[in-house]
Amino acid sequence: MLDLTRGQFVKHVVTHPFEGFEDLRWKKAGSMRIAIFIVFMLFFQQVAYSRLYGFQYYSDYDKVFNIVPYIFKSFIIFGTWVVANWAMCTLFDGEGTMKNIFINSAYALIPYIAGYLIGTVMSHFLIKDEYVFIQSIEIIGTCWTFVLLISGIKAVHQFSFGKTIALMLLTIVAMIAILFLLVLLLTLFQQVIIFILSIYTELSYRFRV
Amino acid sequence: MSGLKKLTSLISAAAISISVLAVNTSALETYDPYSYDRWGDPVASQAGYTAEKYVDGNTIGCGALNEPADLFISHDNLMYIADKGNNRIVITDLDFNFKREMKEFTYSDSMVTEVTVDADALSYMAEEEEPLAAGDYVLTYDKSTSKYNILTTAGADTKFDVEAKYVKINGTIAAAGGDRIAVTYDGAALTVTGKLTATLAKPTGVYVDQYTGYVYICDTENDRVIKCDTEGNIDRLFGKPTDALYDQALTYNPSKVLVDKAGNVYVVVKSQTKGAVMFNSQGDFLGFYGANRVEQTAEVLANAFWDLISTEKQRERSAKQTPVGFSNFDIDDDGFIFTVTDSQEVNTDLVKKLNPRGDNILDSLGATDMTFGDMPPTYYSIYSKNSSLNDIDLGPNGELNILDFQHGRIFQYDKECWLLFIVGGKGNQLGLFESAVAIESYDNHLYVLDSIKDNITIFTRTVFGEIVTNAANLYNDGLYEESLEPWQNVLKYDGNYRRAYIGIGNALYNKYEYEEAMEYFEISISRDRYNRAFEGYRDIWLKENYMKCIVVIVILVILSFVYKHFRKNGKIVYPWERKRRKRGV
Repeated sequence: MLDLTRGQFVKHVVTHPFEGFEDLRWKKAGSMRIAIFIVFMLFFQQVAYSRLYGFQYYSDYDKVFNIVPYIFKSFIIFGTWVVANWAMCTLFDGEGTMKNIFINSAYALIPYIAGYLIGTVMSHFLIKDEYVFIQSIEIIGTCWTFVLLISGIKAVHQFSFGKTIALMLLTIVAMIAILFLLVLLLTLFQQVIIFILSIYTELSYRFRV
Repeated sequence: MSGLKKLTSLISAAAISISVLAVNTSALETYDPYSYDRWGDPVASQAGYTAEKYVDGNTIGCGALNEPADLFISHDNLMYIADKGNNRIVITDLDFNFKREMKEFTYSDSMVTEVTVDADALSYMAEEEEPLAAGDYVLTYDKSTSKYNILTTAGADTKFDVEAKYVKINGTIAAAGGDRIAVTYDGAALTVTGKLTATLAKPTGVYVDQYTGYVYICDTENDRVIKCDTEGNIDRLFGKPTDALYDQALTYNPSKVLVDKAGNVYVVVKSQTKGAVMFNSQGDFLGFYGANRVEQTAEVLANAFWDLISTEKQRERSAKQTPVGFSNFDIDDDGFIFTVTDSQEVNTDLVKKLNPRGDNILDSLGATDMTFGDMPPTYYSIYSKNSSLNDIDLGPNGELNILDFQHGRIFQYDKECWLLFIVGGKGNQLGLFESAVAIESYDNHLYVLDSIKDNITIFTRTVFGEIVTNAANLYNDGLYEESLEPWQNVLKYDGNYRRAYIGIGNALYNKYEYEEAMEYFEISISRDRYNRAFEGYRDIWLKENYMKCIVVIVILVILSFVYKHFRKNGKIVYPWERKRRKRGV
């Protein structure tokens, strides 16, 4: 049974929302490389969504391209999710390791990424009146990802359904806390750097020959 | 180190000179003409109007103007200037040849039937140490002391002052400051010998009704609007309404006035936030017209919430949310009234087009979310302030000329509220303003009144302005294809002019040249139009390539069957599957 390669397991997991992740855990067939690839695809999807979407629907302010928001929307949010989930679930007897959480969460993102990429491609062929087709694909992808995420977190930690939902909400709270602290840290470091720079400037003025 | 410094200074000098060259698109103008792109960022543009000259009171020949407040061009091509500081209305023709001035107004006989002075007051006069000698006098009301003065006609020095309550005109005590009447005193009684005349006190608004020819003047400090003929014979006065609807605690200082086709009179009163005070032609108070809405801020929402849960008494005590009253208006030939609101704090209802019911019909044009005046700065800047729009004028083609007091700029929009030109600025040179208070337009001229420089600047449309106006008029009349060439001409002058791309795109769209139209709509970033052009383009493409599409689909279906077949039989194995299988995962 289930004599699949790691690559084939991805398809199995995505198409079997309820037992896929259990099988993955049982077979230990999660691949970190594929997971990282998926996160990079998430980043690409975010960029594509705002830059390559059909002109008749939507286009961003195109005078400047700032990559930071896209990095935030993909890598940072995802990374924070993994860390926060690991931190919270370990406290509540979750069995998942950071690596497994990473893999399961990344696999769960596939329908979302696929839905939006398909939507992006379709937006070049459809007019505004037909937006409902694109929208439905995007919504289905998002919902599917949501189901997979619940299933994935449930499997990786061996939680009950209720506990999974509760801990996912807690994870979001923890994510907000982590991001807040990160911003705080960044600001403080900025202050320190400005302080050092101003001392340097002061000294360089005083010791000018 | 010094070598590096030299190099950097050289580079920066070069950069500055290049940027100076680049910025000065129009050497004639004293300001940098600009326009806005799709994102609301300012881009350099061509000047649509050029400042030709200015005229002041001395060139007109009426003596220096003093703090003029309003400008109006009547239907018979006369310019009325409300010379506020000199308490007069100056009338010139459009070449600024002085015609006459209106300083003194005469009440008609039907308005003033009798002027009586109380017997008590007369006996008091007779009992004085130096009793009033018999002779001719002038009776005049002094608003500051609330007393009537009896002046000698010759030297006009005050002989007596009488409490206002002792003097009655038409049986009532009220009178406005500056009203004068010639009287004769025979030692026992005062008899009226002349007509009651009125003078103005700080007039700030003037309007001429094109249907009846009557002149309406906001006699601001005398709390009234005077309706008179061009000779100054008063027909009617529109004073503070005594109706319960009008809060008597509020002052009534009319600042602007206009009249519609039916003869209804609309008066802007600065202290009123409920809209313009509206009278019918008989002078009866009808109500308020066209109030602005309250801007939806967090505070307003919070107050709405507290109102929900507070008691009646608490609600009475809480502060009321009042909108900002509009400050100026103009009426077009169809009877629509355009208002502007002079406020830097709010953004709601800054410019409105009101139908006779008082509803803003710019809503239906989809212009409520449009920004009039300068766009709010995207990035923080200490120099940028919000516009304060203090006058509006309707041009011959329905253009809106909106004056921005804050920046001294004129924003011209066409009748669909598309920005055409931005003209002027703040400063001392010709074409710039210290305190721009009123704007009027005639043909291809704009006239702007400055109340600090005490002069009127005359702008004339440039060649570029003519081309744009022509193109916009054709476009607004629905003649898209005819407007193609003018718009292409516009682009020759100014490649940043977004409206031209839309115009060309629409013309091409109407000619079924969808692909080119899409290109222009994409440059101008107008998605809805692009969408329509794309729909047409796709239809044509599908019709032309119908057979090809079918063939491709059939081939794809066949290929997928073949692929599935070989996959099943293990004929196709991907390299990564091979590797893993060997490892035996």
